[in-house]
Amino acid sequence: MSDVDSHILYDSIKKIVNEGDFKGSIISKCNDNCNSIIFSDNISISESEGFIISQGLRVGFDIVSNKRTAFSRKLDYNHHQDMCIEYSILIPEDVMQLYDEGQFSDAFPFTLNMLHTAGLYLRDPENKINHLDFFKGEILKNPVSLIMNGILVADRVVIDHRGDPVFYDCLIVGRDQDENLKVSYEPLANVDDKVVEYIIILGIEELKI
Amino acid sequence: MLIYENFKAKLLNTLKLGVNPFKKFVSTGEIREDLGLVKSRKPLIESLMDIIEKNENCILPIIGKVGTGKTHLYWALKNRMYYHNTIYISLDEIYKRFFYTIYSEFIETIGIEPLRNIVNQLVNEWGALERKFGFFHIADIETIKQNAIASINNEFDQDEKVALNDIITGISTHQLDPYKKIEAERWLLGEIMDIRELSHLNMIHDLTKNKNAYIMLKLLIENSKLGTILFLDDFETIVKTYTSKIESEEVFDPSWLYGREDSPDEILSQKVLRRVLKLQKMKGLRLIITLKSTEYLEEVKKSISKIDESILTSFKEPLYLSEFIESDICEFYSKNMKNFLENVNFTNIPTNSFEDYFPLNQKILKNIYLKSNGNPREIIKWLIKIFNEIIFSDQKLLEIREKYEMQQ
Repeated sequence: MSDVDSHILYDSIKKIVNEGDFKGSIISKCNDNCNSIIFSDNISISESEGFIISQGLRVGFDIVSNKRTAFSRKLDYNHHQDMCIEYSILIPEDVMQLYDEGQFSDAFPFTLNMLHTAGLYLRDPENKINHLDFFKGEILKNPVSLIMNGILVADRVVIDHRGDPVFYDCLIVGRDQDENLKVSYEPLANVDDKVVEYIIILGIEELKI
Repeated sequence: MLIYENFKAKLLNTLKLGVNPFKKFVSTGEIREDLGLVKSRKPLIESLMDIIEKNENCILPIIGKVGTGKTHLYWALKNRMYYHNTIYISLDEIYKRFFYTIYSEFIETIGIEPLRNIVNQLVNEWGALERKFGFFHIADIETIKQNAIASINNEFDQDEKVALNDIITGISTHQLDPYKKIEAERWLLGEIMDIRELSHLNMIHDLTKNKNAYIMLKLLIENSKLGTILFLDDFETIVKTYTSKIESEEVFDPSWLYGREDSPDEILSQKVLRRVLKLQKMKGLRLIITLKSTEYLEEVKKSISKIDESILTSFKEPLYLSEFIESDICEFYSKNMKNFLENVNFTNIPTNSFEDYFPLNQKILKNIYLKSNGNPREIIKWLIKIFNEIIFSDQKLLEIREKYEMQQ
């Protein structure tokens, strides 16, 4: 992981709180049951009002009829809701530019765009989901993954011949051995599925909402 | 195995196969010419390049008599200024579909990849790179179209709004709708499309419609990273029709049909002139116009002043293309012969191979120069004639040479 100076807005473990209104590409990780992740272009942090995110996208796994189902939904978040945030990080613009440049054109013919958000992989002893073999050799657009305690957002994921996911054009947010938050951009990330908590493929229709 | 140690004999044998090194005495905008300019013309092209580089928008007249090499100058300019989009248009040929023809030439000059880059850059400017939720590029075509209209609407006249809408739809569909990209690319390349295809793209006209082609051309030229040079050959064609009013008795008076003021020819040339002047207003477009005489230049200026006097300020001082000087014919001959030999796959051409101008000689070249008064086209015609004799007649080379040495 090549470290990049990052803008940590909030970190509950390192007790970092940057008060103010922030705009840009912001990833917030929640400490809720479903380990959800919030993507947003704004966040407001203040001592009096806590966190306010308008028009964010929350991604994670829900329990529906005793089954865990992937979801991505638009949300307006404030601190009263029961999703305490572990950290919020603003991705530096130069990293975002690298990420933008590495994106595949929508016109690339062999890319699978899911219409609705779906779980590709979930490491859960009771409700395990593993569709990696089914999609072996395919290119899937817009994957979001939780890997140990790191978040990986990529433009596309390809399942290789061993059934392991290979992410392309990735933004990785995670903690180093000293628990410091780091952000990096990787053109390619080969991940062993044993360390993957979950992979969700974002549905294009749900992103358009 | 036959080994040609004698270069001259080998050259004669090659000529006897029936290939004339001097084939073309009229240069055209379609057939590429790699032969550079002769030394006496180097200052001309240097000052031409200087004017082009220093002026983002200008009209530069080049004046030269028939056959002095105005079109050949275009090829020399194109080869030297390869970092510009240089387009050749002969006004003789594009009375109809003026902007569409220029658009087609422009596309052919820049190629498909730069074209895709320019339209990609346009949609990015219109907001295609906006990140939904801070991360995801989910472009909303309708929003992009509205952004586009808001940003470029005021650059176009009221009667061009429908065409502008078509253009914005075409570009945003090409870049953002993967399901219609192939049809949109055909449209972008200027292909003629039927109503069914156009309605599938949600458009009214293809680029054969002049207004559409004009808007598209303006967007491409103004957003191209390279500057654009439009070389308008035979520009006097526009005023020739004006001067057709020369007192001549006509049995049929066109005013009976077309009204008193203007003849259809005049209306047509005014229309073309207006279009040329519209082009002149595009940022980054340099117009080079070629004319046969200074009188024509004055006529052109007069006609332009009738339409928009302010455009006269963008006229640069004309450059004059003169006839060959005597040393030019020798240089031209040697260059052309070397070029011919390279094209017929001659290897190891001796550096001093044309010192004596074989199979001709200096005396013949001088005679040709005198007979043609230094006019390059006439010179080439003479050379074609002599070489045809060398190739096809049964006379010996010595006899042919003597014949042309004698002619004064």
